[in-house]
Amino acid sequence: MSPSTGDHRENTTITTASPADMSSGVPQLVRMAKLQADGTELVTNILVAADFRESKRRAEMEEARRLRIEKLENEAKSSLEKFEEITQKWTVAKAKQIPQDLRDALISQQILCGQLLEDKNKVIIELQQELKASDDRYVKDLKKHTEEVDLMIERLQEQIISLKKSYREELDLVESTFDEERRTLLADNRMKWEQQRQRQSDRELELLLQRMQQVEEHELQLQRLRLDNTKECNTIKAKLEMDVQILEQQLQKMKATCQLNQEKLEYNFQVLKKRDEENIITKSQQKRKITRMQDILNNLKTKCSNQEKQSREENQSLTDDYKRIMQQYKDMQRKMRHFAAVDAKRLEDVWLMNEAEAKALVRQALEIDRLIHEQQLGLAWTPPPLTVMEQSGPVQPRNRIQPSARQAAAQALVRREAAGEERELEEQTDGNTVEVPGGPESTGGRMDQKTVKRLLELLCDEMGFLIESKLLKLLLPLEKDERSLIKLDSIFSHSSVSNQGETAEQKDSDLIHPNDVLRALRAFTALYCKPRDISSRQLSGIPELEGRDDSEDGACWESLATVVPEPKLKVWSMLEAALEKYQHIEVT
Amino acid sequence: AVMNLTKGKYPARINRQTSTFNSAADPRKMRRIIAEDPEWSLAVVPLLANLCLQNIVKNFKEKPIFDELLPGHKAFVLEKLSTSLSLSVTANLISDEAYWKRCCESRWGLSDVSEYGHSWKRMLFERHLENIIELFIPDVTDPKSVLDVVPQCRNYVRRLKISQLLPPIREPPKFEEDDSSDSASDMGHEGPSMDHFDFSILLDKLTNLEELQLVYGVKGCGMNFEWNLFEFTFRDCESLAKALKSCKSLKVLRIQQSKVDDDKCRVLVSSLLDHPSLLELDLSHNLIGDRGARAIGKLLGRSHLKRLAIYNNQIRGPGAQALSHALSKNPSLVALNLRLNRLADEGGQAVAQALLKNQNLVSLHLGANEMTEPTATAMANALVHNSTLRNLSLACNRLGVDGGKVLEEGMSHNSSLVECDIRLTDMSLENEYCIGQILRTNQSRACRRQTQDTGATQ
Repeated sequence: MSPSTGDHRENTTITTASPADMSSGVPQLVRMAKLQADGTELVTNILVAADFRESKRRAEMEEARRLRIEKLENEAKSSLEKFEEITQKWTVAKAKQIPQDLRDALISQQILCGQLLEDKNKVIIELQQELKASDDRYVKDLKKHTEEVDLMIERLQEQIISLKKSYREELDLVESTFDEERRTLLADNRMKWEQQRQRQSDRELELLLQRMQQVEEHELQLQRLRLDNTKECNTIKAKLEMDVQILEQQLQKMKATCQLNQEKLEYNFQVLKKRDEENIITKSQQKRKITRMQDILNNLKTKCSNQEKQSREENQSLTDDYKRIMQQYKDMQRKMRHFAAVDAKRLEDVWLMNEAEAKALVRQALEIDRLIHEQQLGLAWTPPPLTVMEQSGPVQPRNRIQPSARQAAAQALVRREAAGEERELEEQTDGNTVEVPGGPESTGGRMDQKTVKRLLELLCDEMGFLIESKLLKLLLPLEKDERSLIKLDSIFSHSSVSNQGETAEQKDSDLIHPNDVLRALRAFTALYCKPRDISSRQLSGIPELEGRDDSEDGACWESLATVVPEPKLKVWSMLEAALEKYQHIEVT
Repeated sequence: AVMNLTKGKYPARINRQTSTFNSAADPRKMRRIIAEDPEWSLAVVPLLANLCLQNIVKNFKEKPIFDELLPGHKAFVLEKLSTSLSLSVTANLISDEAYWKRCCESRWGLSDVSEYGHSWKRMLFERHLENIIELFIPDVTDPKSVLDVVPQCRNYVRRLKISQLLPPIREPPKFEEDDSSDSASDMGHEGPSMDHFDFSILLDKLTNLEELQLVYGVKGCGMNFEWNLFEFTFRDCESLAKALKSCKSLKVLRIQQSKVDDDKCRVLVSSLLDHPSLLELDLSHNLIGDRGARAIGKLLGRSHLKRLAIYNNQIRGPGAQALSHALSKNPSLVALNLRLNRLADEGGQAVAQALLKNQNLVSLHLGANEMTEPTATAMANALVHNSTLRNLSLACNRLGVDGGKVLEEGMSHNSSLVECDIRLTDMSLENEYCIGQILRTNQSRACRRQTQDTGATQ
């Protein structure tokens, strides 16, 4: 029984005993612990004693061994001495010659050897005795051990018994206290229980009485309520029956209407069914139509695409034709211009030739006339005015030369510039108008200068898009008027407004809103497209015959023909006649 | 009829049995029985399920059908199953304790199952394996006989208490030729022939083994005593060391009365260094001297040992000093038993010095160690400073009257020691009584503290 388990048991006793009663538990505990400790000590005493004996035995054995070893060493030493003595004597004995001596020596040697052997034997006997003693001791020890083990078992059993007894006592005590406690507790509880039960029954009785009273009251109340309710119930029943009758009537009516409606609905349903069928038919028709249409559409599409292709090809061929024709036209024009130039040249040549001839004739006629006058008539001859003679080449019709819009604009601007100081004066003299140079042809005649200027500026602003950006950059360093002049120039050159007339036309746009200027200009340019063509041709400087005015040619030639006037001719004819007469006379 | 069936008195086939016992098979007989026996009823006819189960029980050895059965049928089978069935059939199939209880009781009669963790199965397998090893004779018994059992008991064996290991049988002629003393010495030198069972083939297969107790000796040899029956050869030692190293789950190792000397102790210790789970080592009743003690000291520094018992050895001062040195640094050791050694004052003082530093040793036994007064002085000093030691035994040391006085003085400053064995130490009764008083106050204090603790936990 180890101490640790003892402790444990002690603890268990504490835990069981402590709730019973602490006061008597503690000494009990101490008593139990003591009992255990004593018992354990009693048992372990044997062990300790055995240990003690064992250790003592070991010490003794060690001591004995030490002594034995010492003794053996001593013995070995002494025996070695004796042995050496004997061996020494052997050499002495060998030297002996006389047998007598030798025998004596041998005898003494024998004795010595005997002693040595005796010593050894003694030691052996001693050791054997010791061995025997230790054997005995071992047997004794074994016996003792068995005794001790028996004793230990006995003590263990004793302790078990005593501990068991004491534990049983303890347990009895604990049980008795527990019983007692339980009993008291039970009694207490029973008393309490009784009290509670008594109280409970009292209360229940009271409650029962109360309940009975209440029941009576309630019965009365119930009776009353029942009567009331039956009355009420009857009235309500009558009323409800009435209601039921009315409702039944209504129900009948409703049924009738329902029947009617049902029939109507049936009819409608039939109608709708019919319609539906019709619808289905039309639907199918429509569907078929749709498919047909679809087919047609597809056909048309393909046709259209073919057509398109064809027209494109046609277009292409036409364009080619057009180009070719244009080329031909241009060639033709060139040829025409060439022939015109050739014709003009020939005309001039023919003209000059004829003129020279005519003039020679005129001069001859005039010379003759002078001779006639001076020689025949003796009159002073005065040459007729000969303006015709001074002229040469074909008669040039005096075309209207319109000043270009550019010039007009420049003039307008320059004028304004120059007239900066004289404005007041001008205003006084001319009013607000200025006669545009270019003379009688200018349709506008007099133009409001301000209006012109404004118009031009407006043009500058609105037609800015026509001016190239490069030009604008170059213009930047110039003065405002110069800049606007150049700008206008370029605008005009672009928009093909080239004569002053056009500018004049534009005067009408005074009233046009600036935003509409462009539109007006476009209309204007469209209008003057043709004249521009002509003017451009004129500008090219090629002489033209088509447009040539030949109305004065006759007069010209006439004047040449009539350089000798009629009276003079009469004179001449008279003279001739006279001369002829003279000659006749002479001859005669 | 059912009783007869189960007792198996009729080893005939079941259909014949049913024909003999089920009278319904023969209408004529049935009629007669009905007429003659008023007690007869259909209930007597055994159920088909029972018949099947009986058949299963009977043929369990050839065809063990168990896991597929319903719980109720399982109980029936377990109840009827023979205890003499081969363990190779039942070991991993049956876990029912009642069956194993029957097996144990049929083998060994009454036995205490609480020693085996209240598991009859474990008890059966442990004792079975122990028996096999204890009766193993090297060179005669086939090692296969041991290894064959391993697959069955591997999962259940946690402890092996081998109380004897038989040496190989010597050749008779040799025994006859020489006289006893010579033959004994000869046999001692003949290493190979004296080797015992080789544990290295077994231990690495027992993955659940936690406790191993060995005695290299023969039990109950009686008048056949010979010294060479009690030989622990060096080869044994080496194979055991190898086996211990391979057994990683071992927690407790006891090698007692096996003549373990210094060299063998060193070999064993070197195999136990850094063992992952060893908690208790018992090498008592051996021949370990100072060198062995030094090796054990090294082991203390490189293991998690909690309990160390090396009593009844031959450890002297230097060995004790080595142990004390290890003890002063060891953080795990709880119990140390050095009873019946020869530490003397040199060792005793060293142990006392170690106690000044050690903070975890609870139990120390220094009984019968030839210690005297200087040890008592050192121990008294240690008791003043140490507050963890609870059990101390200094019995059978001649501490003397002065030593007793000093010890009493030291004890008066100590409040942790609960037990101090000072019997047969030659100190005066007065001192003994005083120390007893101090111990008693310490005990009651510890007791109170413990009840408070339990109260607090409750």
